Amino acid sequence: MILQLVYKEILYRRLNFVLGTLAVTMAVALFVSFFTTSEASKNETIRLTRDMGFNLRIIPESTDMEKFWNAGFSDQTMPQEYIQRFTLYKDFSFAHLTATLRKKITWRGREVVLTGLGSEIEPSVRKKSPMSLTIKPGTIYVGFEIARVLNLKERDHVAILGKTFIIARILSESGSDDDITIYAWLQDVQNVLNIPGRINEIQALNCLCLTSFEQDPQNTLREQLAQVLPETRVIMNRTIALARERQRLMLEKYFAFIMPFIVLACAIWIGAIVMINIKERQQEIGLLRALGYSTGQISLLFLTKAISLGILGAVCGFIIGTAVSLIYGPEIFRITADTIKPGYHLLAWSLIAAPIFAAISASLPIMIAVTQDPALTLRRE
Amino acid sequence: MIHVEDVCKLYTTRYNHVIALDSVNLHVDQGEFVIIHGPSGSGKTTLLLTISGMLRPTGGRVIIKQNDIYALPEKKRTSFRARHIGFVFQMFHLLPYLNSTENIMLAKGTGAKELQRSAIVQLMNRLHLSQRAYHKPSELSVGECQRIAMARALVSRPDILLADEPTGNLDLENAAQIIEYLKNFHSNSGTVIMATHGNIAQQYTDRIIHLKEGRIVPG
Repeated sequence: MILQLVYKEILYRRLNFVLGTLAVTMAVALFVSFFTTSEASKNETIRLTRDMGFNLRIIPESTDMEKFWNAGFSDQTMPQEYIQRFTLYKDFSFAHLTATLRKKITWRGREVVLTGLGSEIEPSVRKKSPMSLTIKPGTIYVGFEIARVLNLKERDHVAILGKTFIIARILSESGSDDDITIYAWLQDVQNVLNIPGRINEIQALNCLCLTSFEQDPQNTLREQLAQVLPETRVIMNRTIALARERQRLMLEKYFAFIMPFIVLACAIWIGAIVMINIKERQQEIGLLRALGYSTGQISLLFLTKAISLGILGAVCGFIIGTAVSLIYGPEIFRITADTIKPGYHLLAWSLIAAPIFAAISASLPIMIAVTQDPALTLRRE
Repeated sequence: MIHVEDVCKLYTTRYNHVIALDSVNLHVDQGEFVIIHGPSGSGKTTLLLTISGMLRPTGGRVIIKQNDIYALPEKKRTSFRARHIGFVFQMFHLLPYLNSTENIMLAKGTGAKELQRSAIVQLMNRLHLSQRAYHKPSELSVGECQRIAMARALVSRPDILLADEPTGNLDLENAAQIIEYLKNFHSNSGTVIMATHGNIAQQYTDRIIHLKEGRIVPG
């Protein structure tokens, strides 16, 4: 009988039910769309900050730092196998690990920076797109300014320190010392400089999980690194590292700040709708009590309606939230659009949480209604 | 059977207090047909609601079948009401989204579903409602609505039928029909207490109680 009453009343007062469902739908859609795009948002943040450059540089300990900052790289070298030692240390979190060898040379009457780049090493099985240039042996990438001054073009053959290279790419103007840099395969540079197996820098994108801004990540890193590579020193570009962390923390805080408001607004909305429904049905409540229905049975009547509304809202909210994420997400997160996929586990969570949420929101008005004297509600016209 | 003992009911509003019932004492035996007569605002409805267990009095006791009904816990009182008391309201109070049959079936304590159905069919035939079994209240006349309300009150076979101005909204023909049904219920040893301000049922009753300003007064 209860189910029949709920079903018939829903059909009779459709607008009330639609408005209630809309509240749940909105809350669920917001949750679903946020979580569906959250992976893309996280990755996008990483990619955008990553493009600002490496945030961790490991150089030989004997480096003269004054010269280092003047030149932009170390004048000392260290064994290339350091990079392997680095990867074997499991407690250290990093990404996009690259060995480099840089040296200033005079080429065709110009001072240029010759940079050898090793292949990027990733810590896990996770495949990531390389952050630095991927250069094939025997080829070079030439900085914009050198190419312009020396009138170099792609596919030109050029000799550097006695070895012939093919220009694979002329880099676009960067506004940095990249414009006077020639990039080549690490081993090629080691060979032409006659220092095989040597590098002067390991660059890494470090992923720190800071819990507060008071913690100093550089000290922690130095302590960790001293155990693996005691002959090196670590320099961290704090601006980039902190920007990444702050961006991530900001997104998390923003979500934590905004969601309670949305949930509260939806709860008030549902509560108000249930209250209107109860006010409209006061005589009905009085009648049911007069006919011998217990307060529990009458509460169940309203709770069943609220739960039905929650279930329907969960399904609609999931569909809308997912659809919105799939349609508009790729426009917002252009680089990581591929990671936006329907999260079916969110449907399961919505189906559990939304009916509970709707039932809790409806509880107070129901309690007020069923505790009234049936005669008082029946006499109200 | 029904014993109303020194019952008072005070309605408190923001501005004043209204004494709806003032030390009412009343005894009704099983099988009696009693009319509570009085002008509007005399406390007739309040007295009926108090006897039905739906409105707790400010003072006094209501004893039905040796049960002090307001001393019973809410759940037991509700169940007692469902088993023993049928109530016919002046405003019918039919649920707008249920058809006639469903509105009648809404009464609790009507037994098993099959029994319920056959009882409802019989009742609807008796009350000339069989053609209206699947009509919603909005599709029924006022007289038909009151007969549905009457059927709902009778379907659980109560011992006591309380009727609050059951003919108040009806024309003479429909009113006479309703009184006829009450009379039938009474003739099968049912106890009827009917509140009215008119004289329509006076010829059938065993007793008329006059109520004025919440007090029983001589007729």
